[in-house]
Amino acid sequence: MTRASLALMRRALRNAFRRPQFLAPLVVFPTLFLAVNTGGLEATTALPGFPEVESFLDFQLASAIVQSTMLGGVSAGIAMALDIEAGFFDRLVVSPIPRTAIVMGRIGAAGVLGSLQVLWFLAIGFIFGAQMATGPGGVLVVVALGVVAAVAFGAFGVLIALRARSASTVQGIFPLVIVALFLSSAFFPIELLSWPADVIAEYNPISYLAEGLREPIAFGWDAKIILEGFVAGLAMAGIGIALAISALRGRLQAAR
Amino acid sequence: MTAELRVTWALMRRGLNEVLRVPGASIPGILAPTIFLLGLSAVFSEAAQLPGYGTTDFTQFIVPVSLLQGAGFTGAATGVNLARDIERGWFDRLLLAPAPRSVVLLGIVGSAALRCLLPVTFLLLVAFALGVPWPGVGDLVVCILLVMGFASAMACWGTVIALRFQTQQAAPLMQAVAFSAVLFTTAYAPMELLADWLQVIATINPTTLVIDAMRDGFITTMSWYDIWTAVLAIAGMMIFFGLLAVRGMRRLGR
Amino acid sequence: MPAIETIDLQREYPARRGAGLRAVDGIDLAVEPGEVYGFLGPNGAGKTTTVRMLVTLLRPTGGRATVAGFDVATEPAEVRKRIGVALQAAALDLLMTGREMLELAATLHGIAPESVVDRGGDLLERVGLSAAADRRVGTYSGGMQRRLDLAMALIHEPEVLFLDEPTTGLDPTSRLTLWDEVRRLRDEGTTVFLTTQYLEEADQLADRVGIIASGKIVAEGTPASLKAEVGAPHLDVTLVDESHRDAAREVLARFGDGRPPTSDCDLSVALPDGSAGLAPIVRALDDAGVQVATLDVKEPSLDDVFLNKTGEHLEGADAAPEPEPEPAA
Repeated sequence: MTRASLALMRRALRNAFRRPQFLAPLVVFPTLFLAVNTGGLEATTALPGFPEVESFLDFQLASAIVQSTMLGGVSAGIAMALDIEAGFFDRLVVSPIPRTAIVMGRIGAAGVLGSLQVLWFLAIGFIFGAQMATGPGGVLVVVALGVVAAVAFGAFGVLIALRARSASTVQGIFPLVIVALFLSSAFFPIELLSWPADVIAEYNPISYLAEGLREPIAFGWDAKIILEGFVAGLAMAGIGIALAISALRGRLQAAR
Repeated sequence: MTAELRVTWALMRRGLNEVLRVPGASIPGILAPTIFLLGLSAVFSEAAQLPGYGTTDFTQFIVPVSLLQGAGFTGAATGVNLARDIERGWFDRLLLAPAPRSVVLLGIVGSAALRCLLPVTFLLLVAFALGVPWPGVGDLVVCILLVMGFASAMACWGTVIALRFQTQQAAPLMQAVAFSAVLFTTAYAPMELLADWLQVIATINPTTLVIDAMRDGFITTMSWYDIWTAVLAIAGMMIFFGLLAVRGMRRLGR
Repeated sequence: MPAIETIDLQREYPARRGAGLRAVDGIDLAVEPGEVYGFLGPNGAGKTTTVRMLVTLLRPTGGRATVAGFDVATEPAEVRKRIGVALQAAALDLLMTGREMLELAATLHGIAPESVVDRGGDLLERVGLSAAADRRVGTYSGGMQRRLDLAMALIHEPEVLFLDEPTTGLDPTSRLTLWDEVRRLRDEGTTVFLTTQYLEEADQLADRVGIIASGKIVAEGTPASLKAEVGAPHLDVTLVDESHRDAAREVLARFGDGRPPTSDCDLSVALPDGSAGLAPIVRALDDAGVQVATLDVKEPSLDDVFLNKTGEHLEGADAAPEPEPEPAA
């Protein structure tokens, strides 16, 4: 199980790095968005109800990480769909490897890329003056939670690819990604969201993920919020992986 | 001259096919700017409580931004479609026709100006339904013309990149510029509330003049100063990117 | 005045490292009006690069070329008015119908709107697409797309028609239909410049053939004269048992010069006396105990001409694909 998964994961990563034109947008667009959000809305930290923060950048870093890992999930899905379109998927299916490795290799690669995405945004943050409220220990927590998020979104990307089978359909879910992100507290404190975003954000696991990432960067060690982030992320990852594997089984059944 | 107009029109009509004949494919492009409008106003609506916005309705404040975003995306999409036409060899056929290359460029860019009306109309309908006040026919027409101009300028940029790289994989390069042109401005807040570094960029970025003028149209009413500075800014962008595109066309096959 | 004339035509692609690649290395051509000229060569020989220069899509880096009397580099607009081009991949918009494509092609060539519809209808009739005229091109078969492509190239009644590998990837029936159309065009007096990697196509269609290898013309003439130059037929031998190969080669060497075998046979030898020389060879092979599966006497073909000039076979020659034109810097 693990060896085949690792081999497929390495392949997925190698392909990703060989095509930087597909990899770059995963960090470039969230970075641009981070820049305009912090530069444009810096003054909002003065709003009544906005929590005490060193800078708006500290606050926004978590949203960029969530956004970037979500894009990573879409791109994992697109890569999976391209494998299906090109017939490489069928070649894997007829080879004597555990079927779950096909899914797990791709999702694992999304997790590894996720750690790099987190490090990119932390580096950008530090260069432009963000502070890590919890020091080096906090970096580890943020990277770990970022990987969990990347795995979760990767699993959903792969799930959609297995159901849709075409890369352009997977690409078409992009607006939904944006909707899911806007209906969370990723960008702004939940108390300041307007109706109905505030109500939906309350139930949106992405809110907890974002707040779990934000806590160690902008505020400090609040075990409850960080734990909630991990619970939300791990739950999404678990559900996503289970659904992806069952979608894979369904595909193989239908092919028989 | 009439023959050239006919060619331009034929190419523009062909560009519209992508929208009219594959309606499914254009839905994300039509919805995206509206989703941004709704999302941004749901998330950041409280920002308009700060002094300086001129309105307490954040939606009203960012309608012009979303309109330009829709136009920018359309312009970038035009570049992506051109890259696809180059990949498939269709563009060779256009170059083989005796029609001057400037006419071919005009057709491509003109189709972007027309196509951007789709996301723009949809977005305006949603905005008015949400209670954004009617800016008046005159100001609205000026706004739409400015938006069409911006779509043309971004389509020229998309053309430059498509001609240079000849692959759809260059799409992010086209989108990133359209994205930055619209958002590194007074998009989210009035100038005095921006971070210092963004104030510098927004002052240099000509799109700021366009957004500010359109915003006056939506919040109060456009002054002559608004109109001529915005028109000048758009014209400048169209000329700048247009010349780059013409240069790209000239250098083909070298 | 020739319909197409090139003098020392060259195209060099800038290489990222080291010396540039010379895809076309000094080609001289003179194609007379009304002639069908076949440009024959393997993949990567420089055929497409040459055509792209002649149709003004690519600038020559050396030498000069005129088409219909106009210089491709300095008077491209005049050239474009007089040529029709069907490029390798049928470049069509899959969302449009056949009729719309033809009408667009007519508009692009400045044909008056009132005659656009008639002209389009006539051409659709001519290439046998009338019934499919109002269907989207995306639903067409490969052969139909090529025929539509040809009709678009003919919309403005060009003096010179360029066909770049018009039948690559087509089924045999579609290929024959296209050949008939090319013959009809020649009969009407159109000059046709045709590139192909198929011997039979050049043999069947071309009045004159130029053979290109590694960017240079290695032979030129009518198919008959080229074949006559090579002279004698040759014998292809297939063995029952591979292990007899050396013995068989020894025997054959006594009768004529050995040649590199094609993929269809084990050994090949020139037959200076034609079929008359066959009987002694059969006896000698039998005496040597070599069991032969097939013996095939082949009349000289353009492949022999190619082999004679380059030492390689044309079909199945595994040359590198032509480089993509570099994007304008």
